[in-house]
Amino acid sequence: MTAQSQYRWRRDKEGLGVWEHRGKVAVAGYGHSPVDRRWDETSMDQTLGAYSILACQKAMADAGVTPDQIDGVICCPTTIAGASGGAASNWAPRPFFDPPYDSEWGLTRVNAQWLIKQMNLRNVKYAPASAPTIGEMVGMASQAVGDGLCTTCLVIYPTGNLTGRYRRGGENAEDYAKGERQWTVPWGNHGGNDFINIFPHNEYCLKYGGAHDDLAPFVINQHRNGLMTPWGFNATHDVPQLTLEDYVTSRYILNPLRLWDCDRPVNASAAYLFTTADRAREMQQPPVYVLNHSQHNFKQRSTQPMLDEIETWTDFAARQMYEGSGLSAGDVDIFNPYDGYSTMTQFYLEAFQWHGVKRGDAFAFYADDIRVEGPHPFSSGGGNLGNGRTRTSMYTDSIEQLRGTAGRRQVKVRAETALCAFTTPSSGGWLMLGKYPS
Amino acid sequence: MPKVIPAPDELSKPFWDGVNKKRLLLQNCAACDAYQYPPRETCATCGSVESLGWKEVRGRGHISSYIVIEDGRLDRRMPDQPYNLAVVTLDEDPGINFYSNLPGTPVHQVPVGAAVEVFFEEVGPGQLIHEWRVTR
Amino acid sequence: MARLISFDIDGTLEVGDPPGAITMAMVRIAEGLGIIIGSCSDRMVSDQTRIWRDHRIPVQFTVLKHQLDTVKAQFAADEYYHIGDTNMDRFYAERSGFKFLLTGAGVERLWIPQ
Ligand SMILES: [Zn+2]
Repeated sequence: MTAQSQYRWRRDKEGLGVWEHRGKVAVAGYGHSPVDRRWDETSMDQTLGAYSILACQKAMADAGVTPDQIDGVICCPTTIAGASGGAASNWAPRPFFDPPYDSEWGLTRVNAQWLIKQMNLRNVKYAPASAPTIGEMVGMASQAVGDGLCTTCLVIYPTGNLTGRYRRGGENAEDYAKGERQWTVPWGNHGGNDFINIFPHNEYCLKYGGAHDDLAPFVINQHRNGLMTPWGFNATHDVPQLTLEDYVTSRYILNPLRLWDCDRPVNASAAYLFTTADRAREMQQPPVYVLNHSQHNFKQRSTQPMLDEIETWTDFAARQMYEGSGLSAGDVDIFNPYDGYSTMTQFYLEAFQWHGVKRGDAFAFYADDIRVEGPHPFSSGGGNLGNGRTRTSMYTDSIEQLRGTAGRRQVKVRAETALCAFTTPSSGGWLMLGKYPS
Repeated sequence: MPKVIPAPDELSKPFWDGVNKKRLLLQNCAACDAYQYPPRETCATCGSVESLGWKEVRGRGHISSYIVIEDGRLDRRMPDQPYNLAVVTLDEDPGINFYSNLPGTPVHQVPVGAAVEVFFEEVGPGQLIHEWRVTR
Repeated sequence: MARLISFDIDGTLEVGDPPGAITMAMVRIAEGLGIIIGSCSDRMVSDQTRIWRDHRIPVQFTVLKHQLDTVKAQFAADEYYHIGDTNMDRFYAERSGFKFLLTGAGVERLWIPQ
């Protein structure tokens, strides 16, 4: 197994042209674990590790492949709470448990090496030790399969949560602010995507006209799509449909950011199986072809990213993705941008100009018919807001829509191409999928 | 409860030394004349390393937008909730911005667009931070 | 003396997510003693109503976490309590003139003789 640390797989520039492996790589399977609010610290069949194994088994079963066929494993080894959890992201109860739960691995974090061992995957030749988040991992897998580093690759995204741990304690309980935090924390900003996006969102409302609560139809529709997603948190936990009254009476977290603008941290895992288009055609499901992957990582000018920076970044991401896929806005049927805070989604919608939505048009678009049955089935997967903070419904819904297996969420419009992402918007990546290879 | 105390490091020490003397010193690039805040190892505008120095600015700015932190995650600040968090742009270079709790401005009553000036607030023994207040 | 007790749900009631220390049997005792009871939670009001209906406990109010002041305005009582498990429970309780009690720590002694 090679470390591949020098492997240059990213497509993070303009001018790279159409992706050289366009249509030659495919997604052949996916699998979701149950989505729990948190791990109870006693049920060993519900750990993040057990859920990741389950997700892999489901993805393999979906595709119809056996463990011996797996030769690539890409798994995000960090906790979803990320670096700002600090020491607190070593969350597992002490003392640890019997093997394989005798360390943090499998409890609060999962990595490729742990999975390979537990699942006895004997033929893995590509398993990078450090893998980025799901937004980039899908690109990493696509490129690795296209370049021939592996042929049958599992991509796993575990999102862990334990009682009382999520961004509580650790650095957020400290008296001193170190590193990048010295520029934000003394004034109350702990450094999350909520803060990053709420200021540009305020600027957006001022610049284009509109009020914060114009997000309501979007958030409500995300919940609606979530309730039609059988594996998601809302659908499996009897969460009632959010109403306009629920939304506009909900309390503020970072005023004007409301409770329902935020996603719900969960304990869950999902896996996807990437393979060559040729192999995918021999497998169990109709292949969903990868038409392009792209990444970006922008540095903000100063302390707080402003609207003009966010618009520049997202415009760049759109140009780059359209260039590499050889498609344009009018070609995109399914559009699943990220919503892990409702305040960021309008930036993506307008940058990619899906259904002709231009800068400043998003709120009017949200107020129109964005239901999956309608003419503009926006974010048909329901995102994090409808399913919990799994960061995967964008991918799974896109696959299902192209396969035609989205059930009650199946759109009535054409579903031959799908664009999906996890991005913040300064970093992350986009993935273009197609029902046909060209 | 008091604010969280910044912990200066090698790169930021000149900045915080300035703040502790009630001066707002920003990184400035001699090669391209760009200001930079927060400080970085290289000039983000031209890439120069050697040309980065420190230059005092007047400390005048404007409020560009604000939120009210009602349910934040920092233990030390929870007793202060709800409180204002504004973004202030620097008049000398509006591309530079700072956070401010706007001491003296009642919560929810932030005059967006108003002029502000820097002042310095003690948050720990011998450690000041740069804060901003609305000027009349 | 009229007494009012507001219950947070998640982390407070046994049916919450995560489950809390207050059992529905304890709540029923409070209701039987004529204490004015209800819930105050971040859950949607429809969700709160459903929980009480499922457990056949008649409550007098179901409000959002930041709306305890409306409960105080609606019901006259000599003592107002809110039982919850987070700093936001404490914040909204104290802001609305409720005495805040942390879940667990034997708060049921407030109404159940030991
Ligand atoms: Zn320079």
